[in-house]
Amino acid sequence: MDPITFSIIRHRLYRVVEEAVITLKHVSGSAITNEGHDLMVSLYQPDGSLLLGGVGFLHHLTSAAEACKAIIRRFEGQIHEGDLFLLNDPFTAALHTSDIYLICPIHHEGRLIAWSACFVHVYDIGAMNPGGFAPDAQDVFSEGFSSPGLKLIDRGELRQDVWDTLLNMVRGPEMVALDLRSMIACNNVAKDRMLALVHKYGVATVHEACQTLIEQSESRLRQRLAELPDGRWQSRQYLDVKGEVYKVVLTMTKKGDGLVFDFTGSSPQSKYSLNCTRWASLGGLFAPLFPLLCYDITWNEGVIRPITVIAPEGSIVNCTKPSPVSVATVGAIQSVNNAACTTMGKLLAASEKYADQASAVWHANHFAIFMFGRNQRGGESIGILTETFAGAGGARTFADGVDIGGEVPNPISRMANVETIEAMFPIRYLFRRRLCDSGGAGERRGGTGGEMAIVAHDAPDGGIHYVLSGKGSKFPQSEGLAGGSPGAVNDYVWVHAPESLPQDECFAQALTAIPGRKEPVSWGVFPLMGDDALYVRWNGGGGVGDPLRREATRVLQDVVDQTISTRAATEVYGVVLDGESVDEAATLALRQSMRGSRRAKELAR
Amino acid sequence: MSRRRMSPTLSIESGHVVCAGCNHSLVREGSGWKHAAVLSEVVAASMPGAPSAMHPTLLLRRFSCPNCGELLDTETAMAEDPFLDDVLEASHGGR
Repeated sequence: MDPITFSIIRHRLYRVVEEAVITLKHVSGSAITNEGHDLMVSLYQPDGSLLLGGVGFLHHLTSAAEACKAIIRRFEGQIHEGDLFLLNDPFTAALHTSDIYLICPIHHEGRLIAWSACFVHVYDIGAMNPGGFAPDAQDVFSEGFSSPGLKLIDRGELRQDVWDTLLNMVRGPEMVALDLRSMIACNNVAKDRMLALVHKYGVATVHEACQTLIEQSESRLRQRLAELPDGRWQSRQYLDVKGEVYKVVLTMTKKGDGLVFDFTGSSPQSKYSLNCTRWASLGGLFAPLFPLLCYDITWNEGVIRPITVIAPEGSIVNCTKPSPVSVATVGAIQSVNNAACTTMGKLLAASEKYADQASAVWHANHFAIFMFGRNQRGGESIGILTETFAGAGGARTFADGVDIGGEVPNPISRMANVETIEAMFPIRYLFRRRLCDSGGAGERRGGTGGEMAIVAHDAPDGGIHYVLSGKGSKFPQSEGLAGGSPGAVNDYVWVHAPESLPQDECFAQALTAIPGRKEPVSWGVFPLMGDDALYVRWNGGGGVGDPLRREATRVLQDVVDQTISTRAATEVYGVVLDGESVDEAATLALRQSMRGSRRAKELAR
Repeated sequence: MSRRRMSPTLSIESGHVVCAGCNHSLVREGSGWKHAAVLSEVVAASMPGAPSAMHPTLLLRRFSCPNCGELLDTETAMAEDPFLDDVLEASHGGR
């Protein structure tokens, strides 16, 4: 094939996915989709393997491939032009029940030539808690509607009985219907644009271009791996639920042009819903692998071939049915993601050629608070606080992390404006801003996370409730690199207002200024009623390098910008400030003293 | 004499893992280097910015060069957990 045609087809495939994503966002009415971008659209080969990974939450690229394969197996001989399938069973392919896959076969002249698949986190799935996250679910059966595969549209006709049954099992059926329709529209656009491509260039030419792309991706990743040093790198993530500590342990071995991720040593599966399935673990490690190792390589089946995953059955990263998994996406999957990000950062940092691609762990812990209750217009609202997608950049070997700078597994994640959220729920923000001392310390500082506080406002029922699955509030998860410290942890505080709240204290601008008794909370369903407040802070990115190597003027600027405290400037960075300037002599002496103190300690053995 | 990068703070030289800053030899290559570093452990909850919810016994382990005091690596750990073991193979591989 001539390189011009190949390049045009490659770009057209990207545009197919991009236009489908735009459609999904524009049709959806959920903030989690059109504001937070908790979505994904990709194309798959006739056998279900990944043809072109799109944007959104990258955990889903490989899981949706498994979903396609499951549909192919289940509906053998019954897959027709105009069909559309639904799958959301975590033990078949999905990450958790709330993330529904709609899967569309694409036929040309009666022959199956590809699939498109997409997901959104639907408004509700009928789990024991509104919104789908069910922290106290004891099994997957408490986590809502779950299908290992059904036909939603048959030869272009909506199966009304199936549609009605599904919507009969969820809260806010009109919103779930809109979610499903947005995905139907998305798949229709993907199918139309794919067919337009085929009509223009012919099936054989497009097929040849796709196969070349896959071979090219495999070859380029193997070549990149061969350029990186052989070795073994480890990482460890801790998660906490109600005082019980769980671990995700990873040993990544790179040899030649292959990479093995071995999760042996991870905790047994939990009674809590932070577990994930095998397919979810696979997605969890590919989410950082695509952008970190394949930032210039097309994401398809070719990238998957050089990778081997070992996830012990019955563990927190490969749980067995009927373990609860509704919190998986922000639980074990995210820890798999973080652990893989850590080891890949170490691998890249060990290479002369690729050291400038290395990064500490980015925003590592979604707080994922789902609010629910009657809103100021008398209707019901269910939805996520989209700040969970705001993120924080991990430091790079050449630069600081970006403050509130997004996250690795979703390159297009973002948060809604305060006003958008206040319009959706009967709440008022007291403040929302960057969080001081949340970025991991280092020669290159991790990007800050954020903090915010909300109170009920104009609520017909006096307030609202929220679902909290706050694993990780006890353990930092954004690991540092090469001497950098981890980013700070999430934190959740329920402030019980005093019986009488002075008017001038209704607009407090810091947690310490909010009057009332402060109770740390992290897991379960809680009220936000009356004058009570909910304070939330989210984690920063990890740092890179020795903090004592950070330029003193940068530390000063951090203090001026209130991204680090004067205490951290002195105790962590060894910088002595004199007003708004650096005391250079005192700083030199302090840093020498701190290095001397390190040398005076015992060897680690 | 060949020198290979192991991390931004460590190198391999003449078959030994050395501090990239001062060339102090830690261990022979192919084995875990952290046991030859100076270890200081800080309760993570005492660090600036740590909230009250932080696990009270979680440690931030800091591994430094015994010669120049350069911070070589960090890891968070519960006291009973082993050091994370990162090893660069002595055999060939990319750079």
